[in-house]
Amino acid sequence: MLFNDYPFLLVFLPAALLIYRLADPHPHLRIGVQVALSLAFYAWGSPSFILLLIASIAINWLASIAYGRVKWPAVLTLVIVLDLAVLALFKYANFLLANLGLVLGTTLPALDIGLPLGISFFTFHHIMYLVDLKRGKAPLYALDRYALYIAFFPQAIAGPLARWSEVMHQFGRQVYVPGWQRQFCIATSFIALGLFEKVVIADSIAHLLDPIYAEAAHGPLPSGDAWLAFCFSFQILFDFSGYSDIAIGLGLLFGVQLPYNFNAPLRSTNIQDFWQRWHITLMLFLRDYVFYPLVNSRLLPRRFLPLQFFGAMLITMALCGLWHGASWTFVLWGVLHGLAQVVCSLWRRYGPRFPSWLGWALTVLFVLATGVIFRAGSVEAAWHVFSGLLSPLSLERGKHLWPLIAAPLAAFLLPASQDLVAIVTRRPNPWLAGALGIALFALLLHMGGRDLHEFVYFKF
Amino acid sequence: MNSSTSSSETDPAWGRSLLACLGALSGAALLVLALMVVVDPYDSGKLGLLGIDGVDNRLTQITAASRARNPAFNAAIFGNSTAQMIEPAELSRATNQRFVQLYMTGSSPREQLAVLDFFLRHHKDVGALVFAADPGWCVHARPKEEGAPFPYWLYDRSVVTYAVRLISWQAIEQAFQRISIGLGRRQRMNPDGFVSYEDIWPPGWFKETNGPRDPAPVASTNERAVFPEIAALDDVIRKLPADLAVVIIVPPTLASTVAKAGTDAALERSACDAALRKVVAGRPRSNFISYRVDNALTRDRANFADFIHYRAAIARRIEQGIAASLRDGEGAKIDF
Repeated sequence: MLFNDYPFLLVFLPAALLIYRLADPHPHLRIGVQVALSLAFYAWGSPSFILLLIASIAINWLASIAYGRVKWPAVLTLVIVLDLAVLALFKYANFLLANLGLVLGTTLPALDIGLPLGISFFTFHHIMYLVDLKRGKAPLYALDRYALYIAFFPQAIAGPLARWSEVMHQFGRQVYVPGWQRQFCIATSFIALGLFEKVVIADSIAHLLDPIYAEAAHGPLPSGDAWLAFCFSFQILFDFSGYSDIAIGLGLLFGVQLPYNFNAPLRSTNIQDFWQRWHITLMLFLRDYVFYPLVNSRLLPRRFLPLQFFGAMLITMALCGLWHGASWTFVLWGVLHGLAQVVCSLWRRYGPRFPSWLGWALTVLFVLATGVIFRAGSVEAAWHVFSGLLSPLSLERGKHLWPLIAAPLAAFLLPASQDLVAIVTRRPNPWLAGALGIALFALLLHMGGRDLHEFVYFKF
Repeated sequence: MNSSTSSSETDPAWGRSLLACLGALSGAALLVLALMVVVDPYDSGKLGLLGIDGVDNRLTQITAASRARNPAFNAAIFGNSTAQMIEPAELSRATNQRFVQLYMTGSSPREQLAVLDFFLRHHKDVGALVFAADPGWCVHARPKEEGAPFPYWLYDRSVVTYAVRLISWQAIEQAFQRISIGLGRRQRMNPDGFVSYEDIWPPGWFKETNGPRDPAPVASTNERAVFPEIAALDDVIRKLPADLAVVIIVPPTLASTVAKAGTDAALERSACDAALRKVVAGRPRSNFISYRVDNALTRDRANFADFIHYRAAIARRIEQGIAASLRDGEGAKIDF
């Protein structure tokens, strides 16, 4: 079930709101009902893996309880390794088999096991909690609260990756208290904005770019098309930012403020700034659970500390690439971003100061160029796009190019979604709210006539 | 939210705002729903209080519904663009039946079966059925559906499935087009559905494109005998009255694409032909005719717009063959 699909918007969401409205006055029912709704949501989208999700919750929770009793860190280490092994099995087994086959000079059979929806996200949620439990920072929780942390439907499939400390205390709070109408107005604004980003901007760019990338996989691109393909990063920005905004809006409808995931990243003036504004929750996860441990461990002698620091930066970004997909092009994309961060870090320390406009232009160009590698699927296909840039952009498509004009303008000029929502919900305004209702209906009409596009981040 | 609010979070105006938002959303939805109920934008017969006849749309996958339920016809031609040149009016003249063209550009067998089901649901007394079976019918495993999704919701029995799909700009546009037709300001499309592609591919023009998509030969005889699309058609035809006339034709292609005798491709073709022939076997005034042969007509590029789209001269011969079959059954003399 997709957030931009009628079954979700017209059936599941109204039903879930109604059910939760009935449960809201009863404190002992609130979390249980939200867990049930979340499992129903997951089962609707990925029925074959619902048992995996339930088992994953049960095993990780039992491990946390066992650790609480016996205080053996090995219990938590073991279950984290198990989580990573399950993730590796579903997400990376075929990649490993293919590469092993290359090394052995043979073709190993591929596993036909599918990819459970949101497995990366719920695995990372487990890890965040268990590592913090091991560090003595996290308390133990009851099963229902822990289950909701992992399965809470607005965030279960593609984030935002919320820390346990950000959301656990919010679960089970009464939603319908004085002021709930304001929260719902804010939530509706987030959902409308997210749907607009996804179905109007990102999907329109996808309609233009999908055939071009399909062509690039087979050979050089006809003149001009490569310039359109070069703009893929705008598609993924509005696709994922749109998803995150819808998730945040849905969270608010159920009384939970999820963390923000984007902060106008294409207005960044250097690549380090960019990574503090793009997929913020993933980067915070990687910083705290990969980068810091790598930097703080005594791997190299003290005089090589800068080398270890930059090495950790590269490894973290390479893993970030690999997290996006089991393919060497994703690793290459991650390594390139890691290298860019190393260069940026050194430049900021030793190089002359850039005017901010030049830093911004270089950052945007770098993000767009590496976005081609991210999307192309192979270095060869990416090369077809890059070599096509020698031909000038063709304007033959005329008005159909509007998404590639509107998207950069919005990405470069507008503030982050949360700031936009803050502006429109500063004061209650029934006229504006009425217009929002009409806009929501217009978005529903827009969705009704188009093919569904999955959110890009669902496959990660 | 880090906004500095000048009004209280519990200001009753927030409640009014939420109400205004939901009210506008539901009001707009009700208005559109009312328009759809009154107009039935795709002329599906499931809704519509105004009694407007016909549609104006270039998408044959959409317009087939309006034609398929038209009570003025009792016989139909099914297929994709390889059936398009068969003129229903010519067949009607020659057979005393009232034919409608239900071809859909680029359609697959399972999509044609959905329209067949819709046609049968709307006609109690069917005179004849004609199928142009292109190589899509000869696959040994149903392929995954690709390209633009087929509007199964339009041909579905359920009003709810249909109504949900009417929440779209396209449906609103269609509704206004239908109102224009109702007011006489716009012409409906030709009710019998005939549209010649020679308007865009004029005689004398040939492009080496659209090779027939024959399935790859399979290894074993057992595999070769499995035709899931034909089996699905057979299931439908078997349930129809025993005296209903059914003609299946294999549309011609340029001779250079016809399988040479003795090749695996020829074996494949004859296995598919045999399966199609079995569907109509034993029915009165029914026949199977393969026009996919190598002869003087199919060798002449002037008779084709590309490898699979034949021109009017061949279409007339096909119409004669169908008409003769509907008269004499398997004993019909086919001049091709």
